[in-house]
Amino acid sequence: MISLIWRDTKKNVELISKSVPCAYAIDYMPADKIDTAYISTDKQNVDYEVKISEILKYEPMDDLIFKRKTGLKAILKISSIRKINRVPISEFDMEEGFKELTSFAMGEKYQVDYREKEAFSLSPEAKEVLEDAESKGYDIPVSLVNKLVKYKKSLPYNKYEKLLKRVDLELKKREIDPFEAVGIIAAQSIGEPGTQMTMRTFHFAGVVEMNVTLGLPRLIEIVDARRIPSTPSMTIYLTEKYRKNEEKVRELIKNLENTTIIDVADIITDVGDMSLTIKIDRNKSRERLVSMGDILSALEKRKGIIYNEIDEDSISIKLQQESFKMLYQVQEQLKSTPIKGVNKISRAIARIDAKEDAWVIYTQGSNLREVLNIEGVDSNRTTTNDIIEIENVFGIEAARNAIYREAENTLSEQGLNVDKRHLMLVADMMTFSGTVRAVGRQGISGRKSSVLARAAFEITSKHLLKAGLLGEIDPLAGVAENIIVGQPITLGTGAIDLVYKGNKK
Amino acid sequence: MNFNNVSKRIERIKFALLSPDEIRKMSQVRVITPDTYDDDGYPIERGLMDLHMGVIEPGLKCATCGGKVDECPGHFGHIELAMPVVHIGFIKEIKSMLDASCKECGRIKLTDEEINNYRTQVSAIDFETMDPEIIDMTLKKIVEIAVQRNICPHCSAESPKVILDKPTTFREGGIKITPKEIRERLERIQDDDLLFFGINKGSARPEWMILTVLPVPPIDVRPSITLETGERSEDDLTHKLVDIIRISQRLRESRDNGSPQLIIEDLWDLLQYHITTYFDNQTAGIPPARHRSGRALKTLVQRLKGKEGRFRANLSGKRVNFSSRSVISPEPFLSMNEVGIPEIAARELTVPVLINSFNIEKMKEWIKRGTMPRTPDGKYLAGINYLIRPDGRRIKLTDQNAEINSERVDIGWTVERQMTEGDIVLFNRQPSLHRMSMMAHSVRVLPGMTFRFNLADCTPYNADFDGDEMNLHVIQSEESRAEARIIMKVQEQIMSPRFGGPIIGAIHDHITALFLLTHNNPLISEDDTLHTTSYIEFEKLPEPVIKDGKKYYHGRDIFSLVLPEGLNIKFKSHLCAGAKDKCEYENDPADTYVVITNGKLVHGTIDDEAVGPFSGVIVDKIFRKIGPQAAAKFIDNVTRLAVGFLSHRGFSTGIKDYDIPKDAISRIQEISNETLEKIEKLVNAFRSGQLQPLPGRSVEDTLEVEILSATGGVRDESGKIASQYLGLNDPSVIMARSGARAKMLNIAEVAGMVGQQSVRGGRLNRGYANRTLSHFKENDLGAYARGFIKSSYRAGLNPTEYFFHSIGGREGLVDIAVRTSRSGYMQRRLINAFEDLKVDDKRRVEDTIGSVVQFKYGEDGIDPTRSDEGQTVDVDYAAYDEFGDEQ
Repeated sequence: MISLIWRDTKKNVELISKSVPCAYAIDYMPADKIDTAYISTDKQNVDYEVKISEILKYEPMDDLIFKRKTGLKAILKISSIRKINRVPISEFDMEEGFKELTSFAMGEKYQVDYREKEAFSLSPEAKEVLEDAESKGYDIPVSLVNKLVKYKKSLPYNKYEKLLKRVDLELKKREIDPFEAVGIIAAQSIGEPGTQMTMRTFHFAGVVEMNVTLGLPRLIEIVDARRIPSTPSMTIYLTEKYRKNEEKVRELIKNLENTTIIDVADIITDVGDMSLTIKIDRNKSRERLVSMGDILSALEKRKGIIYNEIDEDSISIKLQQESFKMLYQVQEQLKSTPIKGVNKISRAIARIDAKEDAWVIYTQGSNLREVLNIEGVDSNRTTTNDIIEIENVFGIEAARNAIYREAENTLSEQGLNVDKRHLMLVADMMTFSGTVRAVGRQGISGRKSSVLARAAFEITSKHLLKAGLLGEIDPLAGVAENIIVGQPITLGTGAIDLVYKGNKK
Repeated sequence: MNFNNVSKRIERIKFALLSPDEIRKMSQVRVITPDTYDDDGYPIERGLMDLHMGVIEPGLKCATCGGKVDECPGHFGHIELAMPVVHIGFIKEIKSMLDASCKECGRIKLTDEEINNYRTQVSAIDFETMDPEIIDMTLKKIVEIAVQRNICPHCSAESPKVILDKPTTFREGGIKITPKEIRERLERIQDDDLLFFGINKGSARPEWMILTVLPVPPIDVRPSITLETGERSEDDLTHKLVDIIRISQRLRESRDNGSPQLIIEDLWDLLQYHITTYFDNQTAGIPPARHRSGRALKTLVQRLKGKEGRFRANLSGKRVNFSSRSVISPEPFLSMNEVGIPEIAARELTVPVLINSFNIEKMKEWIKRGTMPRTPDGKYLAGINYLIRPDGRRIKLTDQNAEINSERVDIGWTVERQMTEGDIVLFNRQPSLHRMSMMAHSVRVLPGMTFRFNLADCTPYNADFDGDEMNLHVIQSEESRAEARIIMKVQEQIMSPRFGGPIIGAIHDHITALFLLTHNNPLISEDDTLHTTSYIEFEKLPEPVIKDGKKYYHGRDIFSLVLPEGLNIKFKSHLCAGAKDKCEYENDPADTYVVITNGKLVHGTIDDEAVGPFSGVIVDKIFRKIGPQAAAKFIDNVTRLAVGFLSHRGFSTGIKDYDIPKDAISRIQEISNETLEKIEKLVNAFRSGQLQPLPGRSVEDTLEVEILSATGGVRDESGKIASQYLGLNDPSVIMARSGARAKMLNIAEVAGMVGQQSVRGGRLNRGYANRTLSHFKENDLGAYARGFIKSSYRAGLNPTEYFFHSIGGREGLVDIAVRTSRSGYMQRRLINAFEDLKVDDKRRVEDTIGSVVQFKYGEDGIDPTRSDEGQTVDVDYAAYDEFGDEQ
């Protein structure tokens, strides 16, 4: 349902709220019939919902509230107004490229319908198996139930029953022991194969033309939770319309790659008459699908320049204020003036992915937020190797999954077999506080509750002195501090007290 | 001193600052003399070595507690400083307090309203338990408001900006504030305001950060050492304390007899310098205090800090007794649960045995045997080294006093008995990267000087025998011995927690032998069979096959002897790993899969996949189905069987393994020439500018990429040709195909061609100007000039090839060196961050505070060690095991 959205001052909103129901005069004539509208007070987010009973053509009336004094076109009869939770205007389907709300706009709020993910919904057969198991008191996880379906069909019932019992027994036998030091096991399991990994920073990941950090340096980067990875890169999956259409993919790539003037043209500086000439390289500009118009519109934003002469393939520019220093500066600025493409993405390459049987785009450089907004990009599957960026765009749970996935990919690429539970624990430990924390001094280790444990790791004296001021109490709950004071640790068999009563005579 | 049966725990440790009063109270002596010993070598009274602070010399008694050297724990003394001095560790805090509090009234420069507002926020902070960094962040904002304010809202006094002139001088409007004045200002800060500065009023007062009294640590902390020459050498701390007392005294004298202000200030600064370096001799901005020899002194902070500091070197890791280290060597006849230790070590390492009514007679007998007993035929017997009386006194047993002591012992004594067969010990090889780096073994005392163990244990320890050494620890308490037996024994560690598969298994020649024994099910002569089977325990020989009147046995039947009953498995062998339906290396298509039915090998070849570490399907299934004991027995038997078979059959490898016929060599020659031509064409195209660059690449890069793929191709190609001529009757190929050692690639390098050498993933390109070696023309981009080796190892490398090969080899070595240090640090950080996590009784993962990290460990609560290589349960195998192939 299409509704009207406009930007207004807080004062006006208050006025409306006070005098509802009321008539509001605006300088815009909505095209369609509308019964709801939204008001934004900050250009970016919508925070009021308005019910409109009627729209009239503007004519002077009593008890009118005016949005503006001049150019009034319509009167909205407002029946109610209420404050809603902030909704970003990007959640409205409006004209393309709409980023800021300046005055009025028509738009439809995106409808989100929730469906259960296929992986989580059980087939009827699987449900039967689950019921069978439950009736016998077995607690069998869904992942196994799906595998058991096959056997329910192929095996006679008594054998199938036997199999269920066997699976239940195996599950019970395999449970992790209480008080197991799972953290240490996880750390060892990831650290130990580290010695077997390659150090070579650059490798080819299926795409000959692109470099990606792999092996040990990448693993260190992941656990360090670096702000920016050394080789940020994205894997862009495409929507159905695009994924098989080579032409569209090529075009998309051109729109992705960050193209600056120097990429398609030469800049010639003439010190004699203090002018700069942008000479367009035909081949390059054709390859990058850049037209003269694109360059001119890119130059529009540049201030302080005057067009001297524009012909077919060159633009001559003069400066408003002539000076050699300025000339040099402007030349440098022109070189890096973006014409098109997404910021930070320096290169994009499309490959037919064998598994997908469709085009997939790989990029050098990463800008998740902007790429997701590009038409043709499958925003459900497109991803980046920049964990912090994922955290910023999608939130902490996505970051957790990203850490897990990146670590898993790094290890399996090296042919190392590490149980996923260890990687999950690392990912969970790095993210359970709500933000991504690095493994190390500034992250998890620096935040331990024990003074002694922190002192033993790094920057010993600082922690001890600070502890004195705060009057900190070390509860001796962890491993390092108990070893320091010389008593058994609280993990494994040390977590349990066993007292022998003896025979009373 | 027997605390064994007292189980007390330190529950918590509270940190606080020492007040001057406390320092005086805990002090046993006020030190006033900057000297240590008098001319007779006796400690000077009220000197730095005053007997009140403890004793380090035998014969003397502590003047405070009366204890002798090992009895007295040491006691503190103190120095009264002539003038107050800033404590270097609290400079930042002092600065922030001077900035944020009023110099007149001492209140924090916040209005009452602000104080009330923030107080609720701040008093929610529990200084004692909360994360210091979070506390810092909260308080910083509040203090910052006070710092920005120039006029005190309480008394309207104006406070000029205080500047810290690093490291220890404070200035206000250019004029120096003396520590004395600072102290006075800090004294004025009210207890109630302290909380905004991050100070717990219960444990510290700001003025305590300005020192007036200095504690002198006990002598035991700074013992003096007597050199061989009889000269005494004092500890660094004592040196520093001498300086402090000396300057403090001079300062006091100067002050008392009214010396000029300038001199007093100089001395005061000097005192500040000495006390600053006494705490931290690496303070930025001042030269470190040095020993006469020029070595920088190790003062308090240096003692604690870093890898060699107290925390990491002495508290987190401790030196131990009852341990031993030696070179290791292999011993195939030992079980994988055993370790062979040399007699000399066994005699030195002891186990304490508490004498009770059950063992007193036996122990008396043992004591009578003395320290070096042997059986009549000269075999090792455990002796006794020490007797420990119930009061803790140790008696050294000698052969002379053995008889008497055997009469003296009684219930309640402890004897320290030498190692004997079956004792449980911990065995460890560094670097200890995972828990399988330290496992429990049972002892076998062997002749010789090395530690010995079964070859199957090499993998978890990552050991080889090229001079590796390992450590051995003898467990001293009954409880630990039980734990070691139940959870640390080698057989309990067969499964790796890293991937849920076996990490212990047959290696190298074991694999070769089993391959030869089972591949195509050969007939083994009776003679060979009897020899082989004599190495293992079994019940009955399999049914023989009679051929030409002679008895033969099937290899697979012999192998089946070591399989436990009831085992059902079906899997693909290493040899047939790539095969889809039919394996090209097997005569019988059924052998594509290894099939074991009820403990009998029916089809297939036993190789790395079946028994090797990391894969070991058979080991895996025995461990799960029957248990660790059976798995250990299987590994013991299978390795012995392999050794028995191979040592009788014989197996050798040599250069002739790589002989390939002439036409093969010429074929390789051909393709290598083709490639060379191709490369030449590429280079020519590049030079003439006709080479089309790959998208997004420069022309130079494109050339390199193209050449690299060409040279990579020719190596693979030549390998293929070579392996066509080298069949499974070739020992080297057997080793490669069975997974025993090396890959087919290595064989290709020996027989076919070594191929392109690389540095940093590209062709070699550095060396002389525009060329790699002076043998080539400048800017030669051809194959030979850039590290392509067309020779095989067998044919031999020509000089330039040899040199290029070394370059590539060197890079590998450097890589390893860098990698080990980097991954070592990563692992240290990982361990440190994760060491406190544990699973609770509801399978949740928690840290020490009790925050839940995972609600169910690994999302399914399954131990990865017990999982089917990561799977919760392998339903398909469960079904196969229950019902076989029928389904």
